[in-house]
Amino acid sequence: MATGPVVDNSTDQQDRFDDLFEANYVAIFRYCVRRLGSADAEDAAADVFAVAWRRFHEIPAGEASRAWLFAVAYRVIGNTYRSRRRQRSLSDRLKSDTAVLVSRPWFESAPTQQVRCLYRALSSLGVADQELLRLWSWDGLTRSEIAYVLGINENAVDQRLHRARTRLRTRFDRLSGSSTQQEAEEAST
Amino acid sequence: MTDLMDLNDPAAESNTDRARLRAMVDDRIGGFERPMPIPAQAKRPWLLALAGFAVIVIAVAIPAFLVDEPGDLPIGNEFIELPGVERMVPLASGGVQTGAVDGDTIWIVTALQNKLQKISAQSGEVLAIYDIGAHVEGVRSDSGYLWLMSYDNEGEVLRFNPTSGQVDRTIALGGLPAGAAWFGDSLWVSTDRSELFQISPEGEILSSQTGQVKGTGFGFLWVNDPSTNLISSLSTDGVLGEVVIPTDGVVTPTGTDIREVTEASGYLWLTLAGSSPSAVVRFDLETLSLQPLAVATEPWAATEFGGYLWMTSRFDNLLVRVDPTSGDVRRYPLPGKPGAILVADGALWVALYQPGSLLRLDITSDLIETAEPVTYGGTDGHHLICTGGDPTTTASPTVILEPEAWMNYGSWSLVQALVSEEGYRVCADGYLDGDPRPEQRSADLARDLAGQGIAGPYLLVGFGDGVHTVRLFANGRSDIIGVVLVDPTPLGFQTFYDSRLFEIGVEGGHPPWLDLPVDVSTSLEDFGTIPLVVIGQDPRATYLSDQFMAFVGEDNARSINDYWQDGLAFYGGLSSDSRAMTALGTGSSGIIWSHPEIVVRQVLGLLDRTTVK
Repeated sequence: MATGPVVDNSTDQQDRFDDLFEANYVAIFRYCVRRLGSADAEDAAADVFAVAWRRFHEIPAGEASRAWLFAVAYRVIGNTYRSRRRQRSLSDRLKSDTAVLVSRPWFESAPTQQVRCLYRALSSLGVADQELLRLWSWDGLTRSEIAYVLGINENAVDQRLHRARTRLRTRFDRLSGSSTQQEAEEAST
Repeated sequence: MTDLMDLNDPAAESNTDRARLRAMVDDRIGGFERPMPIPAQAKRPWLLALAGFAVIVIAVAIPAFLVDEPGDLPIGNEFIELPGVERMVPLASGGVQTGAVDGDTIWIVTALQNKLQKISAQSGEVLAIYDIGAHVEGVRSDSGYLWLMSYDNEGEVLRFNPTSGQVDRTIALGGLPAGAAWFGDSLWVSTDRSELFQISPEGEILSSQTGQVKGTGFGFLWVNDPSTNLISSLSTDGVLGEVVIPTDGVVTPTGTDIREVTEASGYLWLTLAGSSPSAVVRFDLETLSLQPLAVATEPWAATEFGGYLWMTSRFDNLLVRVDPTSGDVRRYPLPGKPGAILVADGALWVALYQPGSLLRLDITSDLIETAEPVTYGGTDGHHLICTGGDPTTTASPTVILEPEAWMNYGSWSLVQALVSEEGYRVCADGYLDGDPRPEQRSADLARDLAGQGIAGPYLLVGFGDGVHTVRLFANGRSDIIGVVLVDPTPLGFQTFYDSRLFEIGVEGGHPPWLDLPVDVSTSLEDFGTIPLVVIGQDPRATYLSDQFMAFVGEDNARSINDYWQDGLAFYGGLSSDSRAMTALGTGSSGIIWSHPEIVVRQVLGLLDRTTVK
């Protein structure tokens, strides 16, 4: 890992990091809330910026820094999921009362039946489709930013996004139809 | 469909507490120690002073342009030779957290740039600088290797081979390293998840259990036992709890309170974490008794040397010496924020977190000493740290030291010690937490001076952005007898500076809250005949340096220079009794650290002119 001796002068990393934090902490926090729930979101967001500090020299200049942060967040959240799985596994092995933080699913907070259907349709999609749609719609990333975060090219983003939207529509229609029918049945009884 | 999704973002209203999230980030990037604020010169590395050679127009109120020259030092970031400092070794960057000694070699990690530096303890020469490529917060040396505690990849230990200059072994921890010690024939590392690993010299994990490493002493590894939150002994054969450090109702050295445990002079010494109140606790293993000693804010890095216990306070910028038997405490101000303490080549070494440097000290000489301060605590973390007499009992003047934005009162430790040594009362103004705007600082200062009975007259000293607080505080008062401004930041300077950088494609140099949009309508605009001294850095080491010109271009450098000059001329013009001077030989590390004697000379000069002690 280490290489030969090098000499480097200090930079104004602290200042630029502070700017980066100010400009992005809300977006990164919300990204984490959407994927982890509010219980773990702050920790994950803090982890993202801690990584940013440690790898500061890798962060591209300008607006590209936002996509870089999202890419880090994407991986931090992946680690959090893996960590949760390990915790559950450990807890099971020990058969103890070890607390395992499992967030309340975000889609349970849906305000209306229609939105609940939307959230359920979304969560029924594959992980990759969900991530694409959330990055596009809720995180407001551009095609090129999404490509950067997911490590694919922009054409692939277009194609996958199109397919994901189609699947979401299909699932949503199915769920809304059944829920409408269920509501009607409940109303008649 | 996507419209429906756009309109129903489940996190659209989710907000986090910015300050709390930032503190969490700071905790993570600071590692073993929360990173301290960096000095203004590091944030704005090219601060300019009144130039001796640049063409400037100084207000007619300034009768003469003086030059205060610190001896024959060359131009640049040079430090005055302080008593007891045998050698000062510049390091690759700031952010010095920890170090280790291996024979005659000192190893230092600078966390801001992930550099591992090899330094000869005999000559002070930097022998090599290695780019580790990982964020390393801790370092231990034993078994012929250097063991680096890395925060990367969810926490890991890196075994560095000093011969090859390579990391040849990586041990995953699954948690961020939060303590490490060489004990027995093994490295013991604990993580932020309270997992304690025993690692062999070959890099194999021999055992794991719960616990947090706090230090070694009396043949034990001392760990925090998560099940009791008490510091307990762990023997080489794995027995936990043969000795448990008790709590006595007054002193509560529980695991969450203790930063580290050190053996010295027949006692176990526990340094308490947290900023206030702060103490070191002496633990007698024979009587199991606890004896707390107030030393400084956030003491840490305790080391025994020369029959004393030594530690630093990064908050107070102090080196602290404790007599282990009598409990006598001595405090020595340092020219920067301290990090690690090391013993090598028969000498005590202190690594400065900022500016990044390593000091070799001669403890047999007369180090500059400061008295135990009296703390006047206000609300909201605002404090006045006073030395040199009781400011509430006499009517002679009190010197108020106003720090640069992001600094705290500790940044003044050297200046404060040198002024109070002359018999004057000095109060440094600051906060234990937070960085309020000048308007708030001024209001808190006025409130707490009045509330604590510290009446005027006052001599005000402001550093950098501290000028804004000074002017706000001075407005409408008749008890100001003099003002010294050290590198006062011109209004709007940050915006102008950033605009020049933007021209060359460098975005933003400063966080928005640093470009203080101070409400100058309530600032003192006319000092009348109040004596005023403006001290600036040497421009040849700052904006007009070859390095800065190469960075921003000559035209930009000169326009930034002109802006700064205009600002300083404005400040100089506030009083009809003003002087301006350049502190030659001072560069980017801050006059108050590199040449405190220049500031002290001007403060004492004003006090001599205007008062009788």
